[in-house]
Amino acid sequence: MGKRNTIVISSSDDEDYEPSSRLTRSYQKPKSTSSLTRTNPSRAKKPRLPGSRLTKQSSNVDEMRLAFRDFDEVLNGVKVSAGSRRSNPKELWVDKHKPSSLEELAVNKKKVEEVKSWFEERLMAPKYLQDEVGRSSVLILSGQAGVGKSATVQVIASKIGAQLCEWNTPTPTIWQEHVHNSSAGMNYTSKLDEFENFVERVRKYGLISSSLNGNSKSSIILVIDDLPVTNGRSAFERLQRCLIQLVRSTRVPTAILATDCGNADSSDLTARWLEELQLTLESAGASKVAFNPITNNSIKKTLSRICRQELCNVAAEEIDLIARASGGDIRHAITSLQLFCLKPNVELDLSSSNSTPSCPKENANLLNEFSGGFSSQYGRDETLTLFHALGKFLHNKRDTENVVALDQNAFRVGEKFSRLPFKMDSPEKILCQAHGQSRPITDFLHENVLDFVSDEAMDDAWAVASYLGDADMLLATSRRTLNRHSEIGNVLQSAAASVAVRGVLYGNFHPSPSRWHAIRKPKLWQIEQSSSHNQNEMLRQRFMEDGGSSSFSEVSVIATEYRPVLKWVGYRKAGDVETHGSEDESLKGMSIDEEESEISDDDDIEDW
Amino acid sequence: MLWVDKYRPKTLAQVIVHEDIAQNLTKLVTEQDCPHLLFYGPSGSGKKTLIMALLRQIFGPSAEKVKVENRNWKIDAGSRTIDLELTTLASTNHVELSPSDVGFQDRYIVQEIIKEMAKNRPIDTKGKKGFKVLVLNEVDKLSREAQHSLRRTMEKYSASCRLILCCNSSSKVTEAIRSRCLNIRINAPSAEQIVKVLEFIGKKEGLQIPSGFAARIAEKSNRNLRRAILSFETCRVQQYPFTSNQAIPPMDWEEYISEIATDIMKEQSPKRLFQVRGKVYELLINCIPPEIVLKRLLHELLKKLDAELKHEVCHWAAYYEHRMRLGQKAIFHIEAFVAKFMSIYKAFLIATFG
Repeated sequence: MGKRNTIVISSSDDEDYEPSSRLTRSYQKPKSTSSLTRTNPSRAKKPRLPGSRLTKQSSNVDEMRLAFRDFDEVLNGVKVSAGSRRSNPKELWVDKHKPSSLEELAVNKKKVEEVKSWFEERLMAPKYLQDEVGRSSVLILSGQAGVGKSATVQVIASKIGAQLCEWNTPTPTIWQEHVHNSSAGMNYTSKLDEFENFVERVRKYGLISSSLNGNSKSSIILVIDDLPVTNGRSAFERLQRCLIQLVRSTRVPTAILATDCGNADSSDLTARWLEELQLTLESAGASKVAFNPITNNSIKKTLSRICRQELCNVAAEEIDLIARASGGDIRHAITSLQLFCLKPNVELDLSSSNSTPSCPKENANLLNEFSGGFSSQYGRDETLTLFHALGKFLHNKRDTENVVALDQNAFRVGEKFSRLPFKMDSPEKILCQAHGQSRPITDFLHENVLDFVSDEAMDDAWAVASYLGDADMLLATSRRTLNRHSEIGNVLQSAAASVAVRGVLYGNFHPSPSRWHAIRKPKLWQIEQSSSHNQNEMLRQRFMEDGGSSSFSEVSVIATEYRPVLKWVGYRKAGDVETHGSEDESLKGMSIDEEESEISDDDDIEDW
Repeated sequence: MLWVDKYRPKTLAQVIVHEDIAQNLTKLVTEQDCPHLLFYGPSGSGKKTLIMALLRQIFGPSAEKVKVENRNWKIDAGSRTIDLELTTLASTNHVELSPSDVGFQDRYIVQEIIKEMAKNRPIDTKGKKGFKVLVLNEVDKLSREAQHSLRRTMEKYSASCRLILCCNSSSKVTEAIRSRCLNIRINAPSAEQIVKVLEFIGKKEGLQIPSGFAARIAEKSNRNLRRAILSFETCRVQQYPFTSNQAIPPMDWEEYISEIATDIMKEQSPKRLFQVRGKVYELLINCIPPEIVLKRLLHELLKKLDAELKHEVCHWAAYYEHRMRLGQKAIFHIEAFVAKFMSIYKAFLIATFG
């Protein structure tokens, strides 16, 4: 096995090669198993894999090994430690363990079958059928990122022996490059133009197989991964037109892979356009298969398969955790697994190469436990909207009884101060998920919390108000220190948010019966704005009125003394810019406003 | 023009209320050089009037020819530049500004403007390099950092400029600055002095003032001369032939606060607290300083309160006033005070009436 591995640029159907070769390698003799050169057969058709470079390297390493057998262990332990685990450290498991057979594919069998039969139909069908009207040879595969759209197409292609021809969006031109190009006389073509040209060519001439080694017998599948990003409506319409023409006229079976942006916000323009595009293409005759997120079980199965192949011991719970955290994104899950497997084992290798008879197993366990405690590091960050988070805090849902049996040594709090456990994650975690900045969060809580306090509970209202005051003080301090110590500022900010949120949760001991409240935008912001506006206005007016008496007056003095008197005296000229009317008027207006807003509040009762 | 502005003494010789201080200042500046000055004293006692008169004494009538400038400052603070906007009031010889208006970035302003002034010094008629005067208002509201940098700049540029600082309470000005200035305390005028001023104005305006009326205004004004003159003028507008028991109209915001106080006494609930918040917002929109709101509110509440609660309520008012100064958004703390009051008062009502 230690021989120089030859690169096998294999056609993609020899999937059995890989596992068998892996299994024959033994763990105990790492030096003989230099598998650095092993290229993934299923990847071989991708030209960007730097296969040749790798061979060279590994041969160097092997030569070195022969020459310096003494250093072998050191090398083994330190540099090529990854070699002992039969993996090229430079290779991502995602690429390495790309599914090579339909069985390995984690995607739902039915979907795979659907796609496969679609391709078979298109490829096997006699010519005259293909020309039939209304039979488009475009298939749209949609789904979230990492649900195996590309993998499915690739596996199917290799299964039915078709060649894949991929359109990958070209890398963007950077400015320097553009400058260089234009000085060299080349014109800039936008990526959309390039795509259009490509589609045009495909429509007119089909795929000319000169680039494909003249293997003209095998059928060809065109894959358009990644549609060009369009910016602006007109560009989008161009793309749309061009794709519709493709759908109408192409003969080459084409798969368009469209990545959904998860549960897309309706506000996101691009997401909406993508949807629109899919709909128009469908109406133009394209078929569509929507991929769902991969189920936990499938991910778990795949992960444990990889673990077996990589010979790393990962507890079932860990796999479960990773699978659950991935949210149906198998690429993510595999990457997490690789990350997880990396750390403890490197430790293990090092300890053994230092020939200290430590107990690696315990070590690993320890590490496992350690990382198990922070298991969220494998997770894709779940995000919450700000309003969702605020809702959680304000509604303050708690268990109805204290389920946690208090143990005898536990710190006891008085009856008055103890609260039932949360029916949610810890507030800090929610804050994190909502990406809440402390100041807005505090302002929002301040604006809304009183609606959620029971009408009788004045003490609660006080507690809440007081905690919000604490948070405000912390925030003020953080602002002062912001310039010099952003670190401290950050800590203070999060502390302030935590105080605000926990204060609201703790203080609101008697929440008002649950009903739907509209969460209002903090009025405070508006107040601050108009207040500073008024302030400038006052200063200006005052200066005009006192006939340039060559001195500033303090705003507070103007507001509390001059202005009321001016009103009495009737000095105010009609032309003066006055946004808020006289105070007496605005008082009346104010009280009416309040009544109205209250009524509308009550009208808003719906289910939350 | 309001009487306050009309009858503001223009020169130190015209000053009625703080005659002794005016005389001292005159002596001080006749020797051509004056130290840095720090004027402090309660609102409406005549600090600003004295400063303006002093400037006139130094520079002559040109000190009154001022123009307002809304200036933008680009300040290079190491890694980034800070953009600040501040209104200044400048004559050829002096610049006046309230650096605390730009909030926590005030220190840059102070440094920058003093440096700039030092660069272009005016030359007086005798060809001697004169000095410019920088008038800084509300020094007590400057941040600590700004005060420190002010002190440094004072030392460095003392040859080219003089500072006149003006504030209400010298206790919020750092020791270092206070010791570098000549401190001048301007007392609040006594009731007799106010009466004197009012009678002076009355004579000039040709008004008949019934006996005791001026005294009542003086008493109502809380030893604030500006306020006394202003309400004197209001009374004049309201009803001219004065009667000695004529009502002196209160300020509208004061009435509004007393309305809030009534609301608070009537009902204590989170809902009412929310309404109170709306009313406090209304005051804040009209630029009534939150400290004054809180103070006035306490005053109104105490009027209606049972004696045994007064002490506790005062304690909490002081507590939240302090926190308001430390904090950033005043409404949080005013509201906390109101909530605390409601909670205390409610408990008291339940204990008393069951």
